[in-house]
Amino acid sequence: MNRSRLTKVLLPVASFVILLLLWQAVVVLFNVQGYIAPRPLDAIRAVSDNWSLLSPLVTQIVKETVFGFALGALIGVFFGVVMSKIPAVQKLLYPTLVLSQAVPVIVIAFPLAAILGFGSVKPIIAIVVWIVFFPVTVSVIDGLGHVDHDLLNLAKVYGASRWRTFIQIEVPATVSPLFSGLKIGATYAITGAFIGELASPEQVGSTGSSLALYVQHAESNLNSPAVYGITLLMAIIGVAWFLIVAGLEVVSTPWLRRTTRRRWRRRDIATSQGDH
Amino acid sequence: MTSPVLLELSAVAKTFGDQVVLAPTDLRIEEGSFVAIVGPSGCGKSTLFNIIAGLLEPDTGAVLLQGRNVIGATGHVGYMLQKDLLVPWRSVEDNITMAAHLTRKVTDADRLEARQIAQKYGLGEFLDHYPKALSGGMRQRVAFMRTLVTHQQLLLLDEPFGALDAQTRLDMQRWLLDVWRESGRTVLFITHDVDESIFLSDRILVMSPRPGRVVADLENPLSRPRDLDVLTDPTFVALKSRIMHLLHGGER
Repeated sequence: MNRSRLTKVLLPVASFVILLLLWQAVVVLFNVQGYIAPRPLDAIRAVSDNWSLLSPLVTQIVKETVFGFALGALIGVFFGVVMSKIPAVQKLLYPTLVLSQAVPVIVIAFPLAAILGFGSVKPIIAIVVWIVFFPVTVSVIDGLGHVDHDLLNLAKVYGASRWRTFIQIEVPATVSPLFSGLKIGATYAITGAFIGELASPEQVGSTGSSLALYVQHAESNLNSPAVYGITLLMAIIGVAWFLIVAGLEVVSTPWLRRTTRRRWRRRDIATSQGDH
Repeated sequence: MTSPVLLELSAVAKTFGDQVVLAPTDLRIEEGSFVAIVGPSGCGKSTLFNIIAGLLEPDTGAVLLQGRNVIGATGHVGYMLQKDLLVPWRSVEDNITMAAHLTRKVTDADRLEARQIAQKYGLGEFLDHYPKALSGGMRQRVAFMRTLVTHQQLLLLDEPFGALDAQTRLDMQRWLLDVWRESGRTVLFITHDVDESIFLSDRILVMSPRPGRVVADLENPLSRPRDLDVLTDPTFVALKSRIMHLLHGGER
């Protein structure tokens, strides 16, 4: 690992550690009562001591987050493409989509759960989708709208069909903007899943409970270490999911970081003419 | 000098609103010739190009390429702008074969041709590079190779070297002359650099704005092959003076 890569990894980790230390310092220095704000170590212990109980709940919320994110991204891309290709649809839908985001999710969550069925996983997924699709749609519309006009004209001069121009030029040109939207969606997805679990609380999956319910229970018992510990855990999951999406971006945009294309992308030509 | 006519425009005109961007224009371009178009901005030279390329339909007139009407059609010319328009996500090789990618399935023959042409013109080591790793001159070379492998007889070059520094531009001009001679293509070359128009062409069309029109159609008597010496040749200087007067001082 070279120096710049070292700082790339070390600095963010260091900032996280410093945050924990500050938290510890504030709690100790101002002698904050445990039920108001626990020490970080107590919070972490509240999670690790109950891990056997928590782990299925965590697995569950991660599944909801990932599945809802994937579905939201797909729907977001679909809306983005359709809206930028058909201006009438864009004019028709854009205000409604903005409106959908102006309404607080927490308000929408309960009617959604009532419609899709309390206790089922559907409203949870729906809420994650609700949160994720919007930034994706906006970024796709933005990306497709900003493809170099001269490049599109060049394709036209070559006699390219609209479909090939879309696949060969417009899609790759939209990859970077798309990932801006995906990364915003990725950070919010877990919040969506948590709100969903609050709204659709009964008998989730096979565990008969949910992480949101667990936190609610801990809150009513003034079990601050558990509340803080799970908050920390969710933050870590959110960051991890963001990093995975950001990693996908790096993999799918090699031209931004590399000088030459990857070796496996190069191609040998079977030819009898040999090299010149 | 009995080459057949490749491109023929008759009474081609274009108006945007109440502005005549191109007054009725007649033009015959012979196969294999190198024709330069000089003129200030707003003289209709890019409009002319866009009509020939099929991006724009004229209000009146006919455009015949090898006797075939091409108004409103595309896919019949090579086309290159000042902006190289290389796509950043494709390697040099895939940029050269871009026209094939855009119109049909890319074959090994396409790839082989791209590799051979890049090797021939000194970019063989950069086939797997992304465009951002190349200098401005190299990028324009790749853009021109991409134009060449379209196998179109007529190449429309719209100020292709306009963004390059003087030294690189001169290198590119000499290179273009070599490639043109070997390839046997017909070139229509827009520039507002008078020296460039004389150095490269067989024939120079001088255009003028409001309304955009061709005000002079000059034969270039300089012999080929040309090199840097012609830039100070008395014939060159006389032609340059004539064009400068046409552009800036009205007709003599």
